[in-house]
Amino acid sequence: MARGKSSPGFGWRLTRWWNQQGIWYLFLAPAILLLLVFMAYPLADSLMLSFFKWKGLGPRKFIGLSNFEDLLDDRFFWGATWHTLVFALVVTLGTVGIGYLLAIVISRRVPGWQAFRVGYYLPVMLSVVVVAALWVRIYEFNWGLLNTFLRAIGLDALALPWLADVKYALGAVIIVPIWQYAGFPMIVTLAAIEGIPQDLHDAATIDGVSEWQRTWRLIFPLVRPVVASISILQIIFSLKVFDLVWVMTKGSPGNSTAVLGTFLFRQGFETQKYGYASAVAVVMFLIVFILTYLYQRLVKFEAVEF
Amino acid sequence: MTNTRSGTRSPAIARLLKGTLLAALVAWFLIELYPVIFLLTTSFKTDSEILSAPFAWPSGFHFANYVRVWLGEGANRPMALYMRNSIVVTASALALLLAVSALAGYALARGRFPGSAATQQTFLLCLAVPVHVLIIPVFFMMDRFGLRNDLLGLTFMYTTMGVPFTVLLMRAYFLSFPVEMEEAALIDGCSRFGVFWRIVIPVSRNAIASMAIINISWVWSELFFALVLMDRSEWQTMPLAVIAYAPKAMMGESTIGPQFAAMVSAAMPLIIVYFLFQRQITKGMTMGAIR
Repeated sequence: MARGKSSPGFGWRLTRWWNQQGIWYLFLAPAILLLLVFMAYPLADSLMLSFFKWKGLGPRKFIGLSNFEDLLDDRFFWGATWHTLVFALVVTLGTVGIGYLLAIVISRRVPGWQAFRVGYYLPVMLSVVVVAALWVRIYEFNWGLLNTFLRAIGLDALALPWLADVKYALGAVIIVPIWQYAGFPMIVTLAAIEGIPQDLHDAATIDGVSEWQRTWRLIFPLVRPVVASISILQIIFSLKVFDLVWVMTKGSPGNSTAVLGTFLFRQGFETQKYGYASAVAVVMFLIVFILTYLYQRLVKFEAVEF
Repeated sequence: MTNTRSGTRSPAIARLLKGTLLAALVAWFLIELYPVIFLLTTSFKTDSEILSAPFAWPSGFHFANYVRVWLGEGANRPMALYMRNSIVVTASALALLLAVSALAGYALARGRFPGSAATQQTFLLCLAVPVHVLIIPVFFMMDRFGLRNDLLGLTFMYTTMGVPFTVLLMRAYFLSFPVEMEEAALIDGCSRFGVFWRIVIPVSRNAIASMAIINISWVWSELFFALVLMDRSEWQTMPLAVIAYAPKAMMGESTIGPQFAAMVSAAMPLIIVYFLFQRQITKGMTMGAIR
């Protein structure tokens, strides 16, 4: 790297430093710059804004922790938080549970397993907006697929206004991501199951285990770390739900499907309470950030080893 | 799943069990695929067919719905315009994202410099930031710099959202890459960037393509930032087109067909990508989730 053999002068040392260390900062610069401008600064500003009252125009008025105190008294905030948690939990149980069972069966190479694998994953590739708009049509009261089907088989009493009734709307919304994303845990679990060495299977076969024992005593313990990590990923992903609810119901009827994402959007961009909306953002940030941090620790420690 | 494996159970019970499992698989397969088929067939139906026979196959391939949305109808802009915006944003965000992430990932994999461990940690932390919470400051920042209703603003935002994950993936990839060739080139007098550009990148084309495919699905479908930043319809992207073409109460049911045509148009590019690059997608997803 160094061209001259002369005494290590300042210029030489600078060149050497640049070639060995400095150049890397240049490699990193574009990524860091983007993160600083479009992530770090907005994050800091969000945090700041949560202590202010601001309508979007004019000066910001410092009000200390008032926004957070108001949040505690806001039953719509608690409603949205509750719906978000229920949503995240049920969606995760549904997708990971169904995905695991599908992966187990497909890993046995049942006839047509390749077609199953392709078909189950297909909805994952659809845009959430398309899926949400599609299911609005499926749930439609008068001519939607679901009610037409129910009436056709004589279950007229079950043909309900799925998305318009406070009692059913959240449940109807929750089914959609389970339908869409069950293929994702399936693909990941399947890869883990296929990574189990054949000699473990052979040993189990020699011992004469049943299929049931093979599934729960051999396969499950070995893929558990993967199932755990995919569950946490799914929870984190579901806590951020916005698109689906926004397109399907916008949080209606009667806020029964409102989640933190839509609550934040409405407080900010519909009622111009930007300080208050930022307080919601801070709460959302803390929940997701802590969970993701725990996830990263967990995954690091629990590497799959055979 | 042979009979020898099922141990103590009798062959008849094992066969019955296998039959039940297969039936369950097929049932779930139909549940997964039927709505997608419904999506496709409805887009080819006439208005009366949609209402009277939702389950029936369309009486023929009526392209009227597609013509209506692609040429634009009423107050709605033509789908071609949304498509153009989406293609421009997706292509430029992916290009920028891959370039920026390859550089940074390479530095994290090869560089030994003060702060390299801390930088790596920073990217991990950024991965934990839910981007939704950035929306209010981003909105006002873009407004101030004139990047609202500008495809450039959306491009920057999407690139940033993809950076932490893609950088870490790139780093993991470059770490698994043999270092000897690069060292030989360095000794021959090639610069660091020369090594990166002439040796590392050409060999990594497949990995970089995989990362493009992993990122394309969320960039193409992103709604939240597009909704907030693009309020003028001439700059809106495909997800917003699906919303724009949603049936309006006062216009009756005659807009259902066009909305389905809009939905199929929005979904098609990703479905094509999926069937072309299935292996890379499933592998990439697995890699990202387990690592």
